[in-house]
Amino acid sequence: MEQRKWPKKLDPIVDEFAECFDSMERYELLFQYAKKNPSPLPIEDWSDSNQVHGCQSRAHVSCEIDENGRFLMRGGADAQIVQGLMSITALAVNGMSPDEVSQMSPDFTDAMGLKSTLTPSRSNGFLNMFNRVKEHAKNLK
Amino acid sequence: MGLDVNSIRSEFPILNRKLPNGKKLVYFDNAATSQKPQCVIDAMSRYYEEYNSNAHRANHTLADEATSALENARRTISSYFGTSPEQLIYTSGATEAINLVAFSWARENLSKGDVIVLTEMEHHADIVPWQQLSKDMGVEIRYVPINIENYFLDMAAFEIAVKDASLVCVVHTSNVLGIRNPVEEIIQMSHDSGAKVLIDCAQGAPHEQINFDDSECDFIAISAHKMAGPTGIGCLLVRKDAMEEMGPFMTGGSMIKSVTTKGSTFQEGHAMFETGTPRIAEAIGWGAAVEWLSQYDMEEVHSHIQEIASWTAEKMKNIEGITIYGDPKKSNSSGAVSFLHATIQSQDLALLLDEGGFAVRTGHHCAQPLMDALGVPSTNRISFWIYNTMDEAKSFVEHLEYVVKRFS
Repeated sequence: MEQRKWPKKLDPIVDEFAECFDSMERYELLFQYAKKNPSPLPIEDWSDSNQVHGCQSRAHVSCEIDENGRFLMRGGADAQIVQGLMSITALAVNGMSPDEVSQMSPDFTDAMGLKSTLTPSRSNGFLNMFNRVKEHAKNLK
Repeated sequence: MGLDVNSIRSEFPILNRKLPNGKKLVYFDNAATSQKPQCVIDAMSRYYEEYNSNAHRANHTLADEATSALENARRTISSYFGTSPEQLIYTSGATEAINLVAFSWARENLSKGDVIVLTEMEHHADIVPWQQLSKDMGVEIRYVPINIENYFLDMAAFEIAVKDASLVCVVHTSNVLGIRNPVEEIIQMSHDSGAKVLIDCAQGAPHEQINFDDSECDFIAISAHKMAGPTGIGCLLVRKDAMEEMGPFMTGGSMIKSVTTKGSTFQEGHAMFETGTPRIAEAIGWGAAVEWLSQYDMEEVHSHIQEIASWTAEKMKNIEGITIYGDPKKSNSSGAVSFLHATIQSQDLALLLDEGGFAVRTGHHCAQPLMDALGVPSTNRISFWIYNTMDEAKSFVEHLEYVVKRFS
């Protein structure tokens, strides 16, 4: 059985994507997750300092520690596919400790069947966004 | 007799490939770079397999063969562009060609307060070198706007801007809009005002026969890779009088007559600007590409491309939410069709089209001032060339309709 390196709470989402018939269905699901962002970053809060670079669409990420001392990521993007990935990342990392977030791997996207979509050379910025969240987590430890 | 597109396609091995998802490739990103026919690939391989050697440096057999091939390519390419080999400077592409004008001609001949005219339609390659020059030397840049109703250059504004100008730099054909500018009129008006003219033909050369000498243009910048040639090579075509006014750009080997510890003297003509080991394989590949392209009537090629672009754009206009930027129906439009969907973001749309096998460009296309004028951050763009077919266009429209229905 494959070793899962992501938080258990992501399992149902990973399985949902893995069971998709084809990439179009996976994209459709990402569009749906884009609408389910648990902690959106409102467009008025998009700034140069929270912009994710290396992304052809606009993407912004801001991270903080909430009142319970847990990690909270807020994100916003104009492209639905990036926004969907942000939603899933937020569902994964929100509520974790900064230390746990800083050690997280983006492998869950491979298991979701999205590996070829998210190569750095496609410039869609997922890995930059993910690494930025981890960087924030390191600084918030 | 029309083009035998099936026969042409059979010369491009890449057009038979399938993408990782099993879909057949439909290559609609020709304005970014064209695919290469087998004869170009073979010519470059043959050089490496049979006579790879440095050019202009030795008297052994291989060096002689490499030098001959490099200079034969210069003759072939310059002849294709209607000029003599002496007027062709090999560069890495159109971008380096424009930078060469900025460094070698403009820095030698312009001074503070002199005026350079650009347009809002320019590629960054024809904006940034001039902005840098302005920063360093204090030259003034005037931008000619486009008319956003019909996407054409505002020629009344051009007429005003060109007065007292020293240099006019205009794109032959917009890489975003496919609009072909009235370059003949621009050259005439610029010369009447006493300005030199640089035309960026990166997009124009793959679509029409450029005749440098007849154009009376002072500088023309061209990239090989958009016209069946390899990446990494292009040229600057320069009129004789303008070349005499140019100083050295990059210095080092090849471009010198002699070097002593006290100083150096330089070669004359194009040799002064071709520093270091030349792009030998690339020049040979481009020569082969030009020979290959020479067998076709470019008017026929353009008409084939334009028919597909025009049909596709008309069909796309009927898809709910699609806006087309440019005028692909116009007979001299290049076959580039820029578009956006009202609710599907351009990056998303490109990935969804890629799933269908369609290679489509997304982004600002290195033309951010034009994007600003259009009021959009980016567009999707399809661009056709000699090997594309109406069947491919039909399958694209069907897939776009499907994507819009499913995702908007």
